[in-house]
Amino acid sequence: MYIDPTTGSLVLQFLAAGILSVLAMASRVREAVKNFFKHLIPRRGRWAGKP
Amino acid sequence: MGWQAVEGSFRDPSGFVYSRDGTLYRQINTSFRQRFEAFLTSGLYDELVRDGLLVPHEQVGLEFSATNDACAVIRPQRVAFISYPYEWSFGQLQDAASLTLEIQERALARGFTLRDSSAYNVQFQAGRPVLIDTLSLEPLEEGKAWVAYKQFCEQFLLPLTLMSTRDVRCSTLLRSYLDGIPLDLGSRLLPRRTWLSPSSLLHIHLHALAQSRYAGSAVSSAAKGRTMSRKGLLTLVKNLGAAIRGLSWRPAGTEWAEYTTDNNYSEAAARSKRNLIVTHLRESRPGTVWDLGANTGEYSRAAREAAGLVVSFDVDPAAVERNYRRVRAEGETGILPLLLDLTNPSPAQGWAGRERLSVEERGPADAVLALALIHHLAIGHNLPLERVASYLARLGKLLIIEFVPKSDPQVARLLLSRPDIFPGYTKEGFEKAFSRHFSIRAAAQIEDSERWLYCMPASPQAAT
Repeated sequence: MYIDPTTGSLVLQFLAAGILSVLAMASRVREAVKNFFKHLIPRRGRWAGKP
Repeated sequence: MGWQAVEGSFRDPSGFVYSRDGTLYRQINTSFRQRFEAFLTSGLYDELVRDGLLVPHEQVGLEFSATNDACAVIRPQRVAFISYPYEWSFGQLQDAASLTLEIQERALARGFTLRDSSAYNVQFQAGRPVLIDTLSLEPLEEGKAWVAYKQFCEQFLLPLTLMSTRDVRCSTLLRSYLDGIPLDLGSRLLPRRTWLSPSSLLHIHLHALAQSRYAGSAVSSAAKGRTMSRKGLLTLVKNLGAAIRGLSWRPAGTEWAEYTTDNNYSEAAARSKRNLIVTHLRESRPGTVWDLGANTGEYSRAAREAAGLVVSFDVDPAAVERNYRRVRAEGETGILPLLLDLTNPSPAQGWAGRERLSVEERGPADAVLALALIHHLAIGHNLPLERVASYLARLGKLLIIEFVPKSDPQVARLLLSRPDIFPGYTKEGFEKAFSRHFSIRAAAQIEDSERWLYCMPASPQAAT
């Protein structure tokens, strides 16, 4: 390492990575819940045109 | 013996760049041997070169080394023209930032990391940004944070956020702060609304506060044994990428960006001017042409028909941005748009005033174009014709220059609000002043206009 990352920057980086990971996980959970309900309720007209 | 260090690469103890007999080399010092070999054998080097993200190199023998502590020597592909972040338009800095993050993302996927994210490690080659510092990649130490995070924020994210949300001219701060704009200064300069933007809040404002909160604290006590997973690093890099992509700037409304669509050339005059330029350049077959006051690069493209590379300089950030967008959209490889105020050109600066080269030190160009420029310098900026001639003779070996007489509406516009204190600004005065530094080879009146186009090689004594 030849550049100084500085202490404040390293501490902030841990904080940032933590917050962003939590947000990313929350977003994945939200998508999963949305998909679950999407599959539970069949879309209107899904079988239209089929015997 | 016989080698000369390239100023600007001496800070890194793992190696440095130098030239020998006109060829560029990079020496890798023994202390970096294992990390360099790991990088080469990992497949990352091949991947980055294959996709045009890293400048390729050829490994040569140790007989080409500069000092005794070399373990390897490489001959990197030479970049045709070295430019600096304070000369880039918004889009160029944004693309250089995205390149840096793309490389870091790919590096992380292979267990490597960028140990340095300096914007000076990026250059524009064939219309695209490319990383030139082969030694900036090293194996990732699991659990370690990204050492170049602060540097990335100060050299890329903060300048781009200032340019996007405050004023595009904030990029000139990069000329004063060569290591990047300090976070505390940037945080104060940004508009208050940026505190509501999650990425600005986190990477700039809170980052600046953390800097002052932990100033003087040791890493070991402040970090309290925390480690960073590779996934955490990847999340951080992806978020920075989204922040960079989310910034925008619309290059419109400035004086020069509208110039080519709002000038007083007739179609015949524009065609005649273009033909004269191309004819003169084809006769001299230049490798590199500098187009000074290029605006959005209309005549740079004409010059490109006869030259390998045209560096297309302009003072207006909007014009340079439009020019660059066209380069990217059309995949043009021989045009390099750059920001330059000819009345205050990029100086030699950095450590000992030698780390970053002045524009003049990066020349002389094989040919210089100065089209519809002389009246702005002589009348708009009160520069005596003789001084303009003297400087242009130092910049290039051949000059193609347009003389715009006082009867021209563009000159009349410059004199609208001021007395005419330029009795020497005549065709005869122009020729006399320029004859002291050039030998006039050809002069022709541009069809359907009162303007004249000259072709003049610099006199031999001009270079001294």
